[in-house]
Amino acid sequence: MSSITALNIAKDALLSHQTAINLTGTNIANANTPGYTRQRPVFNTLAPGVEIGKIERIYDRFIGSQIDEQKHNLGYGEARKNELDRIEMIFNEADGGGINELLNKFWSAWEDLSANPSGQAEKQTLVSVSQSLTSLFHSYSSELLSIQDNVNTQIPFLVDQVNTYASDIADINARILQAGTNGANEPGLNSLKDQRATLLSELAEIVDFHSFEDSKDSINIFLPNGMPLVEGDKKWELDVVTENHPSDPSFYDIVFKDDSDKAVINGLMTNGSMAGFLEIRDNSVEDYLSRLDTMASSLVSTINDQHKLGYDMNQNLGKDFFDATKTKAKNIDVSAAIIADINRIAVSETVNGDGGNASRLGALKDELLMNDGHSTMNSYYASIVGQIGQDVADVNRNFDRHTNLTTQLTNKRDGISGVSIDEEMMNLIKFQTGYNAAAKLFSTTDELLDTLMNLVN
Amino acid sequence: MVMRISENMKFNALVDNMFKSQDSYNKLSEKIATLKKINRPSDDPIGMSKVLNLKESRASIEQYTRSMDSGESWLTITESKLSAVSDLLVRARELAAAQSTGTATAVTRNAEAESVQQITDEIFVLANSKYGGRYLFSGTKSEDVPFSSSGRPVAETGVPVSSQGNMFDGTVVSDGNYTGSENKTYVVKIIDSGTLGTATYQVSNDGGKADTWSAANTIPGDGKVVLGDGMNLTFTAGSKDFTTDDIFSIQAKTAGFYNGNGSELSVDIGEGTPFAYAISGEAVFTDKGQGNIDIFSTLNKLKAGLENNEPDVIASCIDDLKAGSNQIIKNVSKCGSRINRLEIAKNSMTDLDLNLAELISDTEDADISELIVKFSIRETALQASYATAAKIGNLTILDFLR
Repeated sequence: MSSITALNIAKDALLSHQTAINLTGTNIANANTPGYTRQRPVFNTLAPGVEIGKIERIYDRFIGSQIDEQKHNLGYGEARKNELDRIEMIFNEADGGGINELLNKFWSAWEDLSANPSGQAEKQTLVSVSQSLTSLFHSYSSELLSIQDNVNTQIPFLVDQVNTYASDIADINARILQAGTNGANEPGLNSLKDQRATLLSELAEIVDFHSFEDSKDSINIFLPNGMPLVEGDKKWELDVVTENHPSDPSFYDIVFKDDSDKAVINGLMTNGSMAGFLEIRDNSVEDYLSRLDTMASSLVSTINDQHKLGYDMNQNLGKDFFDATKTKAKNIDVSAAIIADINRIAVSETVNGDGGNASRLGALKDELLMNDGHSTMNSYYASIVGQIGQDVADVNRNFDRHTNLTTQLTNKRDGISGVSIDEEMMNLIKFQTGYNAAAKLFSTTDELLDTLMNLVN
Repeated sequence: MVMRISENMKFNALVDNMFKSQDSYNKLSEKIATLKKINRPSDDPIGMSKVLNLKESRASIEQYTRSMDSGESWLTITESKLSAVSDLLVRARELAAAQSTGTATAVTRNAEAESVQQITDEIFVLANSKYGGRYLFSGTKSEDVPFSSSGRPVAETGVPVSSQGNMFDGTVVSDGNYTGSENKTYVVKIIDSGTLGTATYQVSNDGGKADTWSAANTIPGDGKVVLGDGMNLTFTAGSKDFTTDDIFSIQAKTAGFYNGNGSELSVDIGEGTPFAYAISGEAVFTDKGQGNIDIFSTLNKLKAGLENNEPDVIASCIDDLKAGSNQIIKNVSKCGSRINRLEIAKNSMTDLDLNLAELISDTEDADISELIVKFSIRETALQASYATAAKIGNLTILDFLR
């Protein structure tokens, strides 16, 4: 064992501890960097001496993918929650003034007319109330349609985002591949890996996927049915097409960009915000719209049928009360003939002007017209509102649950990968002591050599 | 195992707690402002459905109550008019009794004939009373004057009416002698368009009510349609053919003074509960349908007897007038009992309404005292989370290193 060896040992120790202090400095500097995973020097003994074997990135890949799973749920929940909240506002009957109240006024107007069959005021009121009711149907319908439209316009943006993220991840994969197997020692690569993990997390909110890290440190991403999105440095892009959708030609469908058949892959999206928006557009809103339409068309046909059995003030058999060609919530209307001449309202049961038909029309409110003869019109509507309330309550509950899960998992990950200033301070003291000791070793060896040199003189 | 706490975790936890406190605080504030537990369907979906159904029931009750009120007013007026008629008939009877005895002379009788005429005229006025623009005693023909003082010696078929909106522009006349026992309205409805000999029709003998149509028949080539009860309509073609839903109506009246019919106007006072509120003049003043005595012909008979100095005739009127009085009184008490029924129904509606209002309140109203207590607890929690964030957020080992 020569003194030169001792010098080398001291030099190794100084350099290693300096590196360790630098690393501690990096950790402290990045305490607030989002997505930063702390790095730790791994000392390897050279016996004699020491070296920094590698710079370890402290992370748990299992928790990472668990968090991504939850992000799928969060993305899905948040997308649905926001839109359902808006839908709930349309149907909010807490303050009255909605379809329920107006329906009640409608039935009531017929009864008032039956008590005074020749009353012009009562006829005018009936027509006004009927028009207010149809107006309300129009506005509910158009608001639902506008939500659908809104959601639809988000789809291409999301597809663009997915493509951007996938492309960035593939790029990082490429750089890591280039760096080769000694990449483990490159702090620069560690920060690239942090970036990639963040990108993966963002992507997880939009689409659901399976991902795994392969032996070359590449992250590979697959859609749930196995179709690849990113494999090493290769990526597959998504695209949107229109003129395809059965409900509305302007609705976007998702396809793979380089698929010549343009096979629609909407069904592959089962989680994430893209799936959430698709669900709202194609299922939830369609369902509510169709129930509203069912109500409107039933109202038109039952009222018209009864109306045509009665007589107006001029002994004419009643014609349609509602325009029979307009049977959807978005276009239901009182017939133009009735608006033009309220004396055409078929109030009577006989040609003598008795008001009996108005009575029958008012009594339709108690008839089980909906749900195959199980519900009245009012209770059918109440059940629509109840359904929406339930859907919103469900999505809120799930969203809260997933948020809590995500918070717990994130905390766990932070516990492993996050920077603790207190700990870094302790490390700093530790490495500083080591450095001081190594410096002392150096100066002691130097004195030894000095003594040796002076011996010769 | 001791868990590492990173800076992020520390601050995220503090911020999270603050947000959670604020969220509960805001939710409570909303409930206090609106005093309602249910401010949107998702607050309580089943509760909201329930509330909507309850509100519908209350709206129904309000409507039924309104209908009952209008029926009650009608009946009250009817009752007072009929009481007045009853008083007049009593006077007529006293008059007849007085003039049928031996103390009366041709002169007194002649003089009293004038009084009878006045009584008759006044009863006519009362019988033709209106309320709210409609005749009280016309049955369901509330636009037509119920009684004409000239009367009809024999049954009459009115002029056929081709409804305003009909496409057919030919003529229609009626003939035959009405043999029915009550005033009726006959209606012919065209089913299949066509001409004489091809168009098909149905007949109703009750004003065209949906369930009173006969079987379909073809209009004969000579245009003569048999309505029944001795009446016929004869159509003559015009420039336009019969079209589906063309309506022709004709009023058939028996001999007598009454122009209305025997039906009673009704209004719904409950679910599936029609209530007849109008008493038809037929039952009150005539001997057709529900009635037994024709009041006006009896009065006219009395007047003739007085003018012609016929004590036997006058005497025979006394019983008839008594029967007439009873008829009126029977209908007065009918009004009374109907008003009673309405009162009872209204009271039970009021009770029901109170119950419904209570149910609605239970479901959707918030308990203000409970809310205020929860609110102060939340407020304290929020303050605590702010204080904690301020204190802990600043504490690190750096404060203690030299």
